[in-house]
Amino acid sequence: MIETQELSKHFGSVAAVTDLSFAVRPGHVTGFLGPNGAGKTTTMRLILGLDTPTSGRALIGGRPYRAIVRPLRQVGALLDASAVHPGRTAFVHLWSIARSNGIGRARVAEMLQLTGLEAVADRRLKGFSLGMKQRLGIATALLGDPAVLVFDEPVNGLDTEGIRWLRQLFKTLAAEGRTILVSSHLMSEMALTADHLVIIGRGRLIADTAVDKLIDASAHRDVLVRSPRAADLRALLAEHGARVADEPDGALAVTGSTAPAIGDLAAAHGIAVHELTPRHASLEAAYMELTSDSTDFRTAKETPA
Amino acid sequence: MNVVASEWIKLRGVRSTYWTLLIAAGTAIGLSIVLAYAFATPPSKAGQTPPDPLLAGFASLEYAVLAVGVLGALTFTSEYSTGLIRTTFAAVPRRGVVLAAKAAVVAAVTLVIGELAAWVSFFADQTILNGHHLGVALSQPGVPGAVLADGLLLCVCALLGLGLGALIRHTAGAVAAVAGVLYLPALLQALPAPWNDRFGRFTLITAAEQVTRHQPSLTQFAPAISLVVLLAWPAAAVAGAALVITRRDA
Repeated sequence: MIETQELSKHFGSVAAVTDLSFAVRPGHVTGFLGPNGAGKTTTMRLILGLDTPTSGRALIGGRPYRAIVRPLRQVGALLDASAVHPGRTAFVHLWSIARSNGIGRARVAEMLQLTGLEAVADRRLKGFSLGMKQRLGIATALLGDPAVLVFDEPVNGLDTEGIRWLRQLFKTLAAEGRTILVSSHLMSEMALTADHLVIIGRGRLIADTAVDKLIDASAHRDVLVRSPRAADLRALLAEHGARVADEPDGALAVTGSTAPAIGDLAAAHGIAVHELTPRHASLEAAYMELTSDSTDFRTAKETPA
Repeated sequence: MNVVASEWIKLRGVRSTYWTLLIAAGTAIGLSIVLAYAFATPPSKAGQTPPDPLLAGFASLEYAVLAVGVLGALTFTSEYSTGLIRTTFAAVPRRGVVLAAKAAVVAAVTLVIGELAAWVSFFADQTILNGHHLGVALSQPGVPGAVLADGLLLCVCALLGLGLGALIRHTAGAVAAVAGVLYLPALLQALPAPWNDRFGRFTLITAAEQVTRHQPSLTQFAPAISLVVLLAWPAAAVAGAALVITRRDA
């Protein structure tokens, strides 16, 4: 269980995190989402006791991180996979970290095997690709067999096979009852990995919700209609109280009505319908909708989708 | 002890450790032999006093210390520059313990290498000087202490580098700061007398020279006080680091 209570962190006049309160529960993969610069990494550093909050607090299992003895056995973290000494070998890197928490060599070898790095265990890290470093970072996080895991953008640099492996690993770890917080700026990735979402923008909480509830709550639901007599159908639908928008390819996007009602209406007036598709907002769209006001760096002109 | 073991694994696991120690020991021994030969030539003018018989051993260390200063600084700056320090502090949130463990490991290694270099230099130098009847025997008063102090100098400068490395966090800046402390006597020498000596005796190198001479200078602090001055430099750097790293965001 990870808990933040009115957590705030200011760097000079810049508020990186403001009054952030949320809880990450065991047994789930919780996605920690936000645009670049939203404060995800800062929040994770506060959780791990690396930075001191300006106000509020972050607790793990009810205690501040810095109060935990041998913390690697309680909390595993991957913040920056590139944060390694290039001159050390993978084994020595892991072994030095393990040793500080009284974790043995056998566990180090086990983690190298789990992450598929045993063949390169004695190679210096300067030759490692970002994907290999991510695997090493995951091995580091798992060293102490912790109940709580925190990963900052762990899929960066992983290949497709690696991403799939990681998703499966997260699900397995969550099924074992662990608490897992995974940050990402990509909703598409979180849609496949997480079952709960904490979304922040400009350091503030935007949503703390289950993935499926987020889709339901989105305003973006419509019916895509294609007809050779689109103009007639549009007028007819407008008469019956539906709102109609034009898609770039000439199709109609209808809100305020349902697919059966639109089909019946068209049939009653002898208008042929070539396509009738109810559309749910994608998680991506729901996310865009939520964070559109809180993006720090937005392109000046939005290009049409 | 876990944290000390961890830092020992880290120190052994990088090549820079071996290079800096090799350069330090090689410079200390090699240069002292060269200097001993230079000092062994008879005085050109009658009445000129020969150099202190232990000077060759100390003077070579003046150059060797920069290498261990780099070694000390790197124990922190290599972690700050890569970001590894966050992994270290996440594994051991009591940062004072990390500092103490790093200091213990670096101190132990540089003390062993330092004493080794000092004693090898001493015996080599005295063999050369004795050929011209200019050497001293180990049995003479003050000599064993002076050679032990020579051996301590690498450790002192390594800890100075470690403290400054933790404070400054950048390798280049920390090394420049170490060099600044080491070359301070040369700068203070430019002051008008007697102020050059009054300030100069507080510098690390001048204090070190005083405790490693066979005949201590009468214009400087007594050797016992000079030893305190010598140890105060790394102590101040490490204490400053202890204050700052526990308060600063990692």
